[in-house]
Amino acid sequence: MPALIVFAACGSLARAQMYPHSTPAPRTTSVPELRALAVGREVVERFHLGLAAEQRADWQSAAAEFERIIVLNPGEPANSTARYDLAIAYANMHRLDDAARQLQSAIARDPGFLAAMANLIAVDLSRGDLRDARAVADRFVAAAPDSARALYERGLVALRSGDTVTARNDFGQFLQANPKYAYAHYNLGLAQAKTNDFASAEREFQIAVDLAPAYARARFALGTVLLREGKRAQARAAFATVAGDSATDPALRNLAVAMRDAIKSR
Amino acid sequence: MLAAVLAVCSLAFERGYAGAASLEAMLDGALQPSAAPALLGPITEVGRVGWACKPEQAAGANSWQNAELPRP
Repeated sequence: MPALIVFAACGSLARAQMYPHSTPAPRTTSVPELRALAVGREVVERFHLGLAAEQRADWQSAAAEFERIIVLNPGEPANSTARYDLAIAYANMHRLDDAARQLQSAIARDPGFLAAMANLIAVDLSRGDLRDARAVADRFVAAAPDSARALYERGLVALRSGDTVTARNDFGQFLQANPKYAYAHYNLGLAQAKTNDFASAEREFQIAVDLAPAYARARFALGTVLLREGKRAQARAAFATVAGDSATDPALRNLAVAMRDAIKSR
Repeated sequence: MLAAVLAVCSLAFERGYAGAASLEAMLDGALQPSAAPALLGPITEVGRVGWACKPEQAAGANSWQNAELPRP
């Protein structure tokens, strides 16, 4: 019996947390209540329209729907969810500052909104606001210390900001749970190389290319570290592999050709 | 960029070694951290609190695959 009561209570809680597909028929003649019901119905319908627009990449239409929901000022979690979805539309319209504002507002309304934190860091990195990115990333890691995305994103922010200690810690912790993720080995190698720990960097870059042989940037990085360590033949081989890969981006390929030839001509 | 690296290389190879400086220049110029991951997707009208919300689950996931980080 107690289990049944708990189950029933969970059910009503769950219903309160979702946006229903159909709104109930009004059973009131009170004008304020009728108005509230109409607003609730409009919020639900605009969510449907906005999400459908985002699905077909019609960001302008999506933004219009979510902007209207925000004007209607629904309670939580509809309000922060609408801001989160609006931010996705803005980001795709290259309105990065507007996207960041909506995500900041979503997090202010729901301080535990992890997806909003994850997206805000990505938006901040794109618009070059490393200070805000770091503040959000610290909050993200504090809220979800085991989150792969939290550790990876803060590691990236730290690396771009020159905070190699945090970058090493975060990528190191990330790799404990995800030892086969080549990008994290590459980023950890960069952090180590920036502190002149070339032996560790070589190991990380080598793991990255072992895990992802077509990962040209990691192989190039491996070449630079090998060169620094005086391992010229190995360095040249690494640059030659990058230079010979037509799938590599042209700028990196040119650089690899120059490095390979510089070693050869000695 | 290329010219700068070539100049640094020629210095490094012809005169002893200013290896650390040349490597630093290369790392700064050519070796950038990975790109930021793509945005997590929209959250549907079903809501997210206590529900099977994919973006929220991805944000808290422990593995890179579930976290929707880019596939190398």
